Amino acid sequence: MSHPELFCPEFALLLGALLSFACAAIGTKARTAWLVSLAAAIITVGTSALALPYQGHPFATDIYAVDSFSQVLKLGISLALAFAIAISQRQDSTRASARTEVHFFFYLSALGMMMLVSATELLTLYIALELSAYGLYILAALHRRERLGSEAAAKYILFGAAASAISLYGISLIYGAAQTTYIPAIAASGGSPLLIAGVVLTLAGVLYKLAAFPVHSWAPDTYQGAPHEASTFLATASKVAAVGLLLRVLSMAGGNTEHLRTMLIVVAILSMSVGNLSALFQKDFKRLLGFSAVAHAGYLLLGLLSFSKLGAAAAIFYVLTYVPIVVCAFLVVAAVSHNGANPSIASLAGLYKRSPFLGLVLLVAMFGLAGIPPTPGLAGKWFLFSAVIDAGHLWLVLVAAVNATISLYYYLLVVKAAYLDPPGEYPDIKLSPTYSITAFVSVALVVFMGFYPAPIWSMASSAAAVLF
Amino acid sequence: MSELPILSILLLCPLVAFLVTLVLPESKATAIKAVNAVAGLVTLVLSVIVWAQYDETAGGYQMVEDIPWVADLGIRYTVAVDGVSVVLTLLNAIVFFTGVLSMWTLEKRVKEFFAFMGLLVFGVFGVFISLDIFVFFFFYEVAVLPMYPLIAIWGSTRKEYSAMKLTLFLMVGSALLFPGLIALFVESGGQTWNLVALSEPGTFSEGFQIFVYPLLYVGFGILAGMWPFHSWSPIGHVAAPTAVSMLHAGVLMKLGAFGILRIAIGVLPLGAAYWAPTFAFMATVGIVYGAFVAMRQTDFKYVIGFSSVSHMGIVLLGLNTLGIDGTNGAVFQMFAHGVMTALFFSAVGFIYDQTHDRDIRHFGGLVGQIPVASSFFIVAALCGMGVPGFASFWAELLVFIEALRVFPLLGIAAIAGLIFTAAYILRVLGQAIFGPKNPDWDHLVEPTAWLTLPRIILIAVLLFFGFAPSVMLDMIGSVTGGK
Repeated sequence: MSHPELFCPEFALLLGALLSFACAAIGTKARTAWLVSLAAAIITVGTSALALPYQGHPFATDIYAVDSFSQVLKLGISLALAFAIAISQRQDSTRASARTEVHFFFYLSALGMMMLVSATELLTLYIALELSAYGLYILAALHRRERLGSEAAAKYILFGAAASAISLYGISLIYGAAQTTYIPAIAASGGSPLLIAGVVLTLAGVLYKLAAFPVHSWAPDTYQGAPHEASTFLATASKVAAVGLLLRVLSMAGGNTEHLRTMLIVVAILSMSVGNLSALFQKDFKRLLGFSAVAHAGYLLLGLLSFSKLGAAAAIFYVLTYVPIVVCAFLVVAAVSHNGANPSIASLAGLYKRSPFLGLVLLVAMFGLAGIPPTPGLAGKWFLFSAVIDAGHLWLVLVAAVNATISLYYYLLVVKAAYLDPPGEYPDIKLSPTYSITAFVSVALVVFMGFYPAPIWSMASSAAAVLF
Repeated sequence: MSELPILSILLLCPLVAFLVTLVLPESKATAIKAVNAVAGLVTLVLSVIVWAQYDETAGGYQMVEDIPWVADLGIRYTVAVDGVSVVLTLLNAIVFFTGVLSMWTLEKRVKEFFAFMGLLVFGVFGVFISLDIFVFFFFYEVAVLPMYPLIAIWGSTRKEYSAMKLTLFLMVGSALLFPGLIALFVESGGQTWNLVALSEPGTFSEGFQIFVYPLLYVGFGILAGMWPFHSWSPIGHVAAPTAVSMLHAGVLMKLGAFGILRIAIGVLPLGAAYWAPTFAFMATVGIVYGAFVAMRQTDFKYVIGFSSVSHMGIVLLGLNTLGIDGTNGAVFQMFAHGVMTALFFSAVGFIYDQTHDRDIRHFGGLVGQIPVASSFFIVAALCGMGVPGFASFWAELLVFIEALRVFPLLGIAAIAGLIFTAAYILRVLGQAIFGPKNPDWDHLVEPTAWLTLPRIILIAVLLFFGFAPSVMLDMIGSVTGGK
């Protein structure tokens, strides 16, 4: 380990993990633990931002790459972590006995994700994948209503274990075909049929993380059943890591992408359609967001299936802008939630009156997800679609754009509840300063990126340049 | 050319009004209205200045501002005006200003109303002046979405249904535009999104043009109320509150026609030539069908809503002739129809605010009860019939002359449609305005001087361009090449 500075973001995370573990071990109040974790998370964001230009291979063998690809995604993961911890100020959806401990799992899982986006060797990748998953398995189970939490966690673990087993089998095939576990060497080995079969099987675990069809069905259940802050983390950081992972895995196919592309087109169309159509009928807001996440996995795949620098950059751009948008949505969930119960869409009624600012936050979130400017949702879709048309699939863009129209319906239903329906019995909502600041920061990020996407695009573009 | 970035200032006016509106507390309703009225007035003054500064003899795009936006992808914030944008920018400013004044009596959720309205106007200005396809589409979407809350919250008559239907229809249009617009970029070599560069002859093969043109034409056409995708439009009109109806029919539908003219026809002329007979036929059906349906309506706003379908059919027919007179007439009609419909909705809105009734059969002899308010309605009606002396006369005349030349049969059918137009308008006038007096409405009061102002402005504009059409035609002609 010759260059310790290359590990800055990981060190910051490790520090946060140790501090929050210490809080849990001493048994401080939940609030102290939260403050410590939040401070560490903000430091992590700062460190990740400062570490953006770092590049190199910290280990003698080529198992861990620090380049602009990994650093950009690490910044995304640390932002998602900080937002999720800020949201965890209100922990009333979390089991009381676990409120001091949750942050430790956040950090552990985020550490796994950071390693995941840097891993360039299959075993390292697999270990990072598992590390990132275990924290989430535990987090998903911590809902204060035990049945809900257990169901969420059980689904998540069972699906996760199965997907992970299939991935492992895929990895063994890849090793058999290429006789190496180093991803760049595999990519250069020429893409034999056996290798492609291995990549396809490995994708199972990756698509699971992204919540894409056919391994998506945990997403709505787990989003719904996990504590609010855990769902936030799952919906944001996990997606960022999944995009990074997916790009690495797909790069192993070398130039032989034709069949993979056909498969990914099918997966993308089904993810979009299944996600959007199922979301139309949801009453629970978190569950709706779960299905919407499946649909967005489909959009993201559009960028990846074009196997080009433009497509990879578009996917990275999309997922980076997706983080603050989804944070806005979950912030509303956590703020509206009464005694930790999941808010139904009906319970958003009259939000414009109960808390005008929160109404605005919700509006930004829904417009962002639907791809309406001035949020970066439009630019994100535009870039993704550009990549797809560049790859020669005009009709696929038509399918995706029609899907976006369908999704607008249920996003507007949420807006309708918040802006049209009278508040009725629901009480006014007073935001805590932390929530106000978090909301302000995420809305400001969304609107800024919507009006001026150039900085994020050049980050995404430089990240994609590493792979293509 | 001015050194001052006048177009960007014009664009920022409604955005500043939007931000100030967001900051002001809900209780300061009058201040919010005043801020927006001032912003409207400033945009009006600025767009008149733009008109005056535009050099008609030089033609082309003027007052260009060009800043990289997403440099890596070749996306640039490029704004400029040509004769058509000058005209439509003025239209938007007029409708914005008079719309704010027409909503002076609004009491429900004033802050949010003007915030959404400011955002909408901002988007419309952006569309009219941007030359970059991405920027164009960005503003296009900004303009479309605020319609949902504006109708759903402040509207009437099945407002939630209408708002949702309108939004989904328009988004289906966008779904067609997405592949169409991006295909232009990719096919041209992936270097530029600039409309002027893409309009160079020879950029696109004929086969490509024929393939992509319908995507763009129908995508934009849905917003322009093209038959058979018009059904969102009348119900949207009916449900929307006055200023929103004014903006919707007055400006928003023009975005669609403008998109067809500038992007679909401008960039893909060979595709346009191939598809012109088909789409001209559909436009003619729209003219006749809209007028027919309007004859059977009993709700004031439905009559105007279907008349908009009919009048926008004239615009689309003019565009599809692909000739100089036809295009001049179409753009003139966009302007005239925008102002006229704004006046119509403003007049109906005034009556509805007092009566909460829009059924034509419930009224009679309004001219005796509220002569001033009725006269506004009568003026709009005359203009809608295309009576000489009003702007729309010249517009329709030009379109029909060109249509008779290019598509004789369709031209005759369209002119026959005018007879129905006269019929439905005279029916409304005969029943509600002049018919036997209905004593239920004796208590109605005339508009205050303040509320009269916006209507006076609209009438003045209609008459001015009715008597001096050459002012308008010189401006439009600087683009199309004819006077």
